[in-house]
Amino acid sequence: MGKQKEEKVGYIEREKKMADVVIEAKNVWMEYNDVIALEDVSLQVKEGEIKVLFGPSGSGKSTILRCLAMLTKPTKGKVFLRGEELTSPDVNIDKARVKIGFVFQDILLFHHLRASGNVALGLRHVLGLPKKEAKEKAMKALREVRMEKWADHYPAELSGGQQQRVGIARALAMEPEIILFDEPTSSLDPELKGEVLDTMKQLAKKGRTMLIATHEMHFSREVADEMIFLDEGRIIEQGTPKHFFTNPSTDRARRFLARLIREG
Amino acid sequence: MDVLEQLIFLLKGVSTTLSVSVLAFFLGTATGIPLMLLRAYGGKLWELIVEGYEKLLRGVPILILMLLFYYGIGVRIPFLRNPFVSAILALGIRSGAYQSQIFRGAMRGVGGDQMMAARSLGMSELKAFRHVVLPQMFIIASAGLGSEYALMVKDSAYAFFLGGGLLDVITRADILRATGMLANWEQPYFPYIPAALIYIALTFPLATYLDRWGSRKKKKLGI
Repeated sequence: MGKQKEEKVGYIEREKKMADVVIEAKNVWMEYNDVIALEDVSLQVKEGEIKVLFGPSGSGKSTILRCLAMLTKPTKGKVFLRGEELTSPDVNIDKARVKIGFVFQDILLFHHLRASGNVALGLRHVLGLPKKEAKEKAMKALREVRMEKWADHYPAELSGGQQQRVGIARALAMEPEIILFDEPTSSLDPELKGEVLDTMKQLAKKGRTMLIATHEMHFSREVADEMIFLDEGRIIEQGTPKHFFTNPSTDRARRFLARLIREG
Repeated sequence: MDVLEQLIFLLKGVSTTLSVSVLAFFLGTATGIPLMLLRAYGGKLWELIVEGYEKLLRGVPILILMLLFYYGIGVRIPFLRNPFVSAILALGIRSGAYQSQIFRGAMRGVGGDQMMAARSLGMSELKAFRHVVLPQMFIIASAGLGSEYALMVKDSAYAFFLGGGLLDVITRADILRATGMLANWEQPYFPYIPAALIYIALTFPLATYLDRWGSRKKKKLGI
């Protein structure tokens, strides 16, 4: 499979230690009032892997990502980061979250800070780096998403695509073990999606571990090692992008893909 | 005493008026933020307690609060038997009730998502509040805080009733009237008018500036 990819987009430097599980959900349930948002979801992402969460709106993609980062606590089930149970009451969740990058659908940059300040904030006040060092590291992260020229701009002065690239830099700068992307291009105008997807492809080439919720078919095909299809809070189907996009096993996946293609 | 000397006599009260108002204002901020947090995060019981406390303080005339501290509680606690202390406490504690409301509105304006984004970086709730929520809260609250400050400066005039130890602008105006030092002005009420103008000068420019600064900043930052 790795070989096939190389041919496709030239992922040369990709080297996977497939044995190392970075993040794992084990039989996770999420219930709000009477609504079941997640029903017995289990998944894992290993080092260097890229998995894509696919499925209609409201299928639980965001919810499982938020549970994995413990931004919401699952009703039932366990979440592990490098084998450490994050759902355990004894765990220092702030410390664990440093290792989990999160990119939001609504971007959620800090409005009152410039691009550089957004990226440096965690470096300064979570990792405790001195001001100068934090700034340097922030600039390095901004370079990685090609936003270094915009470092002194406030989020409101940037386009949606630029904002989201800063959002990615903010997550990258903390040097997380995995980055979770919650529909990073869904809130963007079509013409701005490309720059964000390109940035993510660059990260993929560098072998970043990522779990991505998205509706972008072409992108998923290009970067994903595995597609995870969710519907109504359950994992319906899992498989390689090739299999999933050309010959999905379930009717529901087939219907969803047909709809996506119809809607373009 | 010529007119200029009288004006200087009045203006000497500015430092007293300002120190009472500014100290009371900061006391209000120092109590308002914890009250807001207690009401937002303290659970149902604290929400009710803080709500009741705020309603009570906002419902009582400030003069009654001052007199209560000075003559009421002050009988037992010599520390309060000082017009300065009583005035600052009464104004500050009441302002806390108002500022708590201003900050609650501002926090709603900042929204929970900013907190979540900060937490996702591994910040503790406290750090996220300090570095992400609070700075934006102050920007949103600036106009409200400006008018609260203006109210404070004006209401500090009630300290007049606590006796002459506190020589603020209004008390000095009254001294000018009462001692007849004004005979040459012929208008018995005249000293109150320059006093009124001084109060306007102390409130209007700063409140207006804060209001404009806040709007500009909000527009620039898109909040």
